[in-house]
Amino acid sequence: MDLDFTPEQQALLAALARMVDDNCAMPTENGVVAAVKWARGVGLECALEAGGFLDVALAEGCGALEAALLVAECGRSPLVVETAGSALIGPLLAGRSLSRPVAVARAEDLTRGVRFLDTAKTLIVLDGEDAVLLRAGDLDVIPLDGPYAWPLGRLATGPDLSSGERLAGRGAELERLWRLGLALEAGAALRAAIDFTNDYVKQRMVFGRPVGSFQAVQHRLSIDAVRAEGVRWLALKAAWSGDAADAALAALHAQRSILQVVYDCHQFNGALGMTLEHALHFWTFRLRWLVGELGGWSRQAASAAELIWPDASAA
Amino acid sequence: MDFAWDETDEAYRAELREVIADLPRDWWENYAPHGPASPQVMDNARGFNAELARRDLVVRHWPSAYGGQDADAWKQIVISEEMWSLGEPRSSLYLGANWAGPAIMKFGTEAQKQKYLRAIAEAKLLWCQGFSEPEAGTDLGNMKTRADPVPGGYVLNGSKVWTSYAARADIMFLLARIGGKGKGGVSCFLIPTDTPGIEIRPIRGVHSEWDFNEVFFSDAFVPSDALLGEEGNGWAIVQTIIHYERIGAARYEKSARGLDHLVGILKARGQWDDPVCRAECAAARSLVEAARLLTYRVIDGRAKQREPGAETYLARYAMIEADHAVANITSTWLPDLLIDGADGHARAQFNSAITAGIAAGAAEVQLNMVSGRHLGLPRGA
Repeated sequence: MDLDFTPEQQALLAALARMVDDNCAMPTENGVVAAVKWARGVGLECALEAGGFLDVALAEGCGALEAALLVAECGRSPLVVETAGSALIGPLLAGRSLSRPVAVARAEDLTRGVRFLDTAKTLIVLDGEDAVLLRAGDLDVIPLDGPYAWPLGRLATGPDLSSGERLAGRGAELERLWRLGLALEAGAALRAAIDFTNDYVKQRMVFGRPVGSFQAVQHRLSIDAVRAEGVRWLALKAAWSGDAADAALAALHAQRSILQVVYDCHQFNGALGMTLEHALHFWTFRLRWLVGELGGWSRQAASAAELIWPDASAA
Repeated sequence: MDFAWDETDEAYRAELREVIADLPRDWWENYAPHGPASPQVMDNARGFNAELARRDLVVRHWPSAYGGQDADAWKQIVISEEMWSLGEPRSSLYLGANWAGPAIMKFGTEAQKQKYLRAIAEAKLLWCQGFSEPEAGTDLGNMKTRADPVPGGYVLNGSKVWTSYAARADIMFLLARIGGKGKGGVSCFLIPTDTPGIEIRPIRGVHSEWDFNEVFFSDAFVPSDALLGEEGNGWAIVQTIIHYERIGAARYEKSARGLDHLVGILKARGQWDDPVCRAECAAARSLVEAARLLTYRVIDGRAKQREPGAETYLARYAMIEADHAVANITSTWLPDLLIDGADGHARAQFNSAITAGIAAGAAEVQLNMVSGRHLGLPRGA
């Protein structure tokens, strides 16, 4: 066992970190940071595309783990970047690069709300035991507004999946990759929200002391950190193993951890955390969507139970 | 990055399982549920450990100069997984192998190394840990047991409490104060438990008849060479061994296999049809696997000779959460398994889990350490 990244992976991470840091400037209005629910990381997406990073999963000597590093690293940005569909799920499911951005949805969610569907060029649909690839540009998509820090869209009418490329029997693989992507995105956002909050509670004074000097704050933030680290390592293991149970456990642990971490982070940022001028919501309101994606934790748990302790139905 | 065990790890695990196969057939009925500090397990451990030693399996990861085979640090977690999953049939030999030995390796005199490290490798000693006192559990700096220097050694007076294994252990890793206040003056001693002036009384626990003891020191004389390290340097020794102690026991593996066992019973009873029960079992497993990986991260650093950091405390807290999650499955869906004689495997996991947040430093202390060392938060008033 060797839990260090290879020199190549370290170089990839360093390059990604530079790109994320160089492209994290928030949009401004009248010289100040714009009070927006979310902002797209167009610069970062262009840099990733131009550098060929979004095809890393298909590059020689690379695979899911390298794509996972990309998703996790970009996920710490306050700006929204579509990476899970483009760099991880799409290439590894289809075995080729897909037109980007890539949206991923269950068939039953298409008329409710799907991340990135408003701008997607490819839509991947989980349709029972199959996966279906659709040209999203051909679809009648309605952009959605809401509390979430993601671009969202829905189909105006029920989906017609017959025009798509049906990948028969690949639904389980799509689910595995989606769970992995979800865990990576959630893990990155959890860490970013905790890091942001950790910085804040060291500076913010209350009763003459930093907020972060109170044990009531310290212990909860510490438990949150344990959870976030657990999500990160479960996701890395799942990326390495390609195992469906590992991916289900990673997504499950992420979704079971999200609401407590989000609650704690907002509590510790106080009223400021409830304002759009404070960056916390860029991560927490991403997480609030991710907690319910792909059916929520109970669905990941059901799958994990089935995979780890099979023949459940025969019990 | 590679999460796979290498061939030597797998071979070591297979060798360990050959010895494990010779455990009594009624292990889960009449041994493990009583706990690793019970007379049943401790008495059985003498022979079991001797067989481990005969095959050179006790401390593969130690230097060959001290009875090991210069193997990497992963071997320590391999043996810990195999043993803890069964309720620790080595009993308190693991204290010596996991952290008392490394402490002696780092701070001991050559004579102490020759005396104790070989004895650990040869599985000749069962250990106990004399740390907690009536007014000093987690806050060890408050301990009062004294070691007063006298010609040729020290005289011990005071008492220890909640001392697991003491009733049948051969040797105690003792903290006693040579003057000083707080952390200052704390010193480490290696003392035989049959030293005149030491009285050991059992305390019945809610989880085990035998896990706890009180230990009283009444003018107990120990020679100078019982001192480990320098006088007053005990706190530094404790700080060093904490990283070995807190994740040395692979609790997650016991919980993982315990959970598998519970699921088998839930299925047999038809309770697996309950989707909430299935979901909670899966959620418990996710906590177990997270704890496993956080522990592996610490071992990976140890294998690469890196200084241990805050990862130890993250891993320990994750283990506590995981242990309790599995025990809570028993409490919620299979409470009758805890009745005497009903299911030893479930009882062993449950009994171990409910002490997880107390043993090896309270869970809240682990969080203090995460707060300070991982998050860098300021100390409270």
